Amino acid sequence: MTDPAIDIRNLVKRFGSTEALAGIDLSVSRGAFCVLLGPSGCGKSTLLRLLAGLEAPSGGGIRLSGRPVADGRAGVTVAASGRNLGMVFQSYALWPHKTVQGNIVWPLKIAGIPPAQRRARVAAVTRMLGIEALQDRFPGELSGGQQQRVAIARAIAPAPDLLLFDEPLSNLDAQLRVEMRSELLRVHRETGATVVYVTHDQIEALTMATWLVVMRDGRIEQQGPPGALIAEPATPFVSTFLGNPPGNLLLAEPADGGWQVNGVACDGLPVADHAGPVQLFYRPERLTLHDQAGNRRIAGRFLEALPIAGRSIVSADGVDGGSLRRLSAIVDQPPPLAYGDPVFLELPDHPDGVFSMTGERLA
Amino acid sequence: MVVRLGAGGFGAGRLRLSTLPLGTVAWGLVGLLVVVPLANIAIELASADGMQAIRDVFTGRIARNMLWLPLQNTLAIGVVVAVACVALGGLLAWLVTMTDMPLRRTIGFLAAIPFMIPTFSAALSWTVIFGDDRLGPASTGFLHALGVPVPAWLAWGGVPIAAVLIGHLYSICYLMIAAALVLVGRELTDAAEIAGASRWQTLSGILMPVVTPTLVAAGALCFAEAVSSFSAPAILGLPVRFHTLATRAYGAIETGNPERGYVLIATMIIVAAALLAVATLAGRRRRSFATVGGKGGRRIRMTLGPARWPLAIAALAVVLFTTVLPALALLLSSLSAQRGTVFGALTLHYWIGASDPAIAQGQAGILQNPQLVRSFVVTLGIGLATGLVALAAGAVIGAAIHRTQRRWAAAGLRQAAFLPLLVPGIAIGAAFIGFYGAPIGPLPSLYGTPMLIVIAGVAATLPFAVQSVTSALSQISPELEESARVGGAGPLRTWLAVTLPLAFGKLLAGFVLVFVKMVRDLDLVILLYTPQIPLLTVLAFRYASDGFMQFAHAVSVVILVLSVGAHLLANALGRSSQPWLKAPAG
Repeated sequence: MTDPAIDIRNLVKRFGSTEALAGIDLSVSRGAFCVLLGPSGCGKSTLLRLLAGLEAPSGGGIRLSGRPVADGRAGVTVAASGRNLGMVFQSYALWPHKTVQGNIVWPLKIAGIPPAQRRARVAAVTRMLGIEALQDRFPGELSGGQQQRVAIARAIAPAPDLLLFDEPLSNLDAQLRVEMRSELLRVHRETGATVVYVTHDQIEALTMATWLVVMRDGRIEQQGPPGALIAEPATPFVSTFLGNPPGNLLLAEPADGGWQVNGVACDGLPVADHAGPVQLFYRPERLTLHDQAGNRRIAGRFLEALPIAGRSIVSADGVDGGSLRRLSAIVDQPPPLAYGDPVFLELPDHPDGVFSMTGERLA
Repeated sequence: MVVRLGAGGFGAGRLRLSTLPLGTVAWGLVGLLVVVPLANIAIELASADGMQAIRDVFTGRIARNMLWLPLQNTLAIGVVVAVACVALGGLLAWLVTMTDMPLRRTIGFLAAIPFMIPTFSAALSWTVIFGDDRLGPASTGFLHALGVPVPAWLAWGGVPIAAVLIGHLYSICYLMIAAALVLVGRELTDAAEIAGASRWQTLSGILMPVVTPTLVAAGALCFAEAVSSFSAPAILGLPVRFHTLATRAYGAIETGNPERGYVLIATMIIVAAALLAVATLAGRRRRSFATVGGKGGRRIRMTLGPARWPLAIAALAVVLFTTVLPALALLLSSLSAQRGTVFGALTLHYWIGASDPAIAQGQAGILQNPQLVRSFVVTLGIGLATGLVALAAGAVIGAAIHRTQRRWAAAGLRQAAFLPLLVPGIAIGAAFIGFYGAPIGPLPSLYGTPMLIVIAGVAATLPFAVQSVTSALSQISPELEESARVGGAGPLRTWLAVTLPLAFGKLLAGFVLVFVKMVRDLDLVILLYTPQIPLLTVLAFRYASDGFMQFAHAVSVVILVLSVGAHLLANALGRSSQPWLKAPAG
């Protein structure tokens, strides 16, 4: 069995008194497209910089293909250049005083690659990215999408084992983003490199990842194939963070031997013996819309309906404005409702997940 | 900026001002302040006397002493100063912004101060330390008094002039280069590090080329400042007949040969302008190195390892030698009973003493001396008046630049308003004497009036005034004013409630800057002052020329404190001139 491309154990990074990474364990297999997803400030970019060797860990260690490159205790850190990786930055970080060709060739020169090979590599990567015609331009003379391609070409020119992307698409317009997503997947396929890709955009994450890592507050909430995270969210955060629209999370309190959700009795929960309140997770597509009260129906006010893919996403909030958050349901027909109209959302008899108040999954 | 009120697209509620032909007023101001007086020099030179003067100066018997030797000195000083300032200022900027050098905040703060110290104070302080007795006991410096032999080349002439100018101007380079380095996206150097570049390769292959346009601009600026300086060569060169173009021009005009002076001044302007033009052209292709957004975040500072402390101590020595040392030397000298005796008898006579026929021909201490007190008041008055007028003129011109639809017209106005940057202070003085010193039609001559000094000061400081007004206004999003207007506020109310409070700090900073430039200026006023308008700097210069060194030094200390204090105030008002010092240590 070969070593995983990336093996991270209990990685900790502190900046002064703030803990940016609070014990990360992560293993990425060779050739994977691993996406680090999370809200801003969750530590995903810090993790990427530690992988790149731009920062040293405060604790824990990183192995790349079995080779230790960083160890918080021993203080061992292999420099970025010794890790055989390429990186694409959010700003692209093209050197403004060098032409496209100069940008791509400089790292190869630094690496001591002979001129003939350098030329061959530049030709190969510019062809792969479709930027042969731009070689003599300066970065300031390129569009955002072209700069992006040059940045990718520069990163893959030395044929690295590991490619790191730090929110590379966030400065592009929507249409270009869609285009570059497939472009990046093609580059991944053609280079065979292991990719670690940081983003806060769940569409990028869900479309591109073979291995998805959801982070929050310096910790990994859950990791696995994207489908598995959608199907079985391990924490309340993941259940409401992933998916479009996000899942519904409702507070259930024990009452009279059964359960009450927002004042409505709900029987048959799979955690009947739990003593205190729990959080229930329901997928939007399993909620149904009604105009009258009834069993397991939660009263709310209609907010908006968004037609999408032939169906409608309906949003509502609780009448009492209390503990009930915004709820989403996906229905076949757009309801003839206006803002503020009363509406009843019926929960299915079994929730899609049950979490304790501290976030463990109970069922 | 009042005029900008009408700038919005609203038909109703406009102030009358908006109907003023703003562009005409702006061009009128620039014309009277800049274009006409300078053009007048050209016209004078084209006259028969002027042509004769050109022939004399360039080819005549006097050419060698009048032009070629001073030109050679001027150019040598300019080149040495520019190169040394970029090297020293760049090194300091790099140490302060990019490395883990200890004490970097203190050093960064101090490095901005030499620029605030008037050159003539610095030059006087040089004589306090390095002066020898070849001009008599009055010019003896501390080293000489301590028995340390000071070679003649270190006491007077080109070396001390260059040293004083470097000690003054490296500070501008530091500020410009540090600002550029901070703007270089961290990701640019990260990308180099990932490529495997060594520290040196990153520095020489990425960082240096990216900031090269700034290095070139800073060097050109220092060159222009150095070749146009009058104070330093006047104090350190004239006593040993070491001349630059500025001192020669001054001599020619003072001795009744204004045309010859104009020839030399035109030469100075052409030399400075030619270099700036070359620098601008060289920088043109690389101008847009502004880096794209990206992530700010912590900057990783380069670790200097064992060199940390030696470098910090060296840097600290440089900034202390150029800030605290000159001030201390002047202060100590002003307190010495006898010139050239270090740690000898100290006295407050030169500060507060009553008139004593035994000392300095009966001159009272500067705080007792009615002439000096008056001079203080006059100087402050002229400084305040210049500041106000310059800011008002800057507002009109700045607004016109903003409002002018035709791009070339706006660019032309801007260029004209910034022209005084190219023109040495002494040349502006000469131009104003030449034009406004004689009656113009029904208008009387302004010579000998404070008004002449004020309008010459406004002309000289116009670039700074226009700059501070436009930067203050451009930072205010039009939407802020528009939302007040939409909310029903009239133009005047909008201006009072939104625009003025937001721009106030920067405008005040601009005012203080102009004020201080006036208060500490010698180059501009040396040709304009008359005994009826005793300016502090001129007085100090006169005292020094007459050998009343302690008085000169006491006045210098006053100006130095005034200048540094006002600059620091302007910085505080304009908010963080060195934002990189405030960033948390990474």
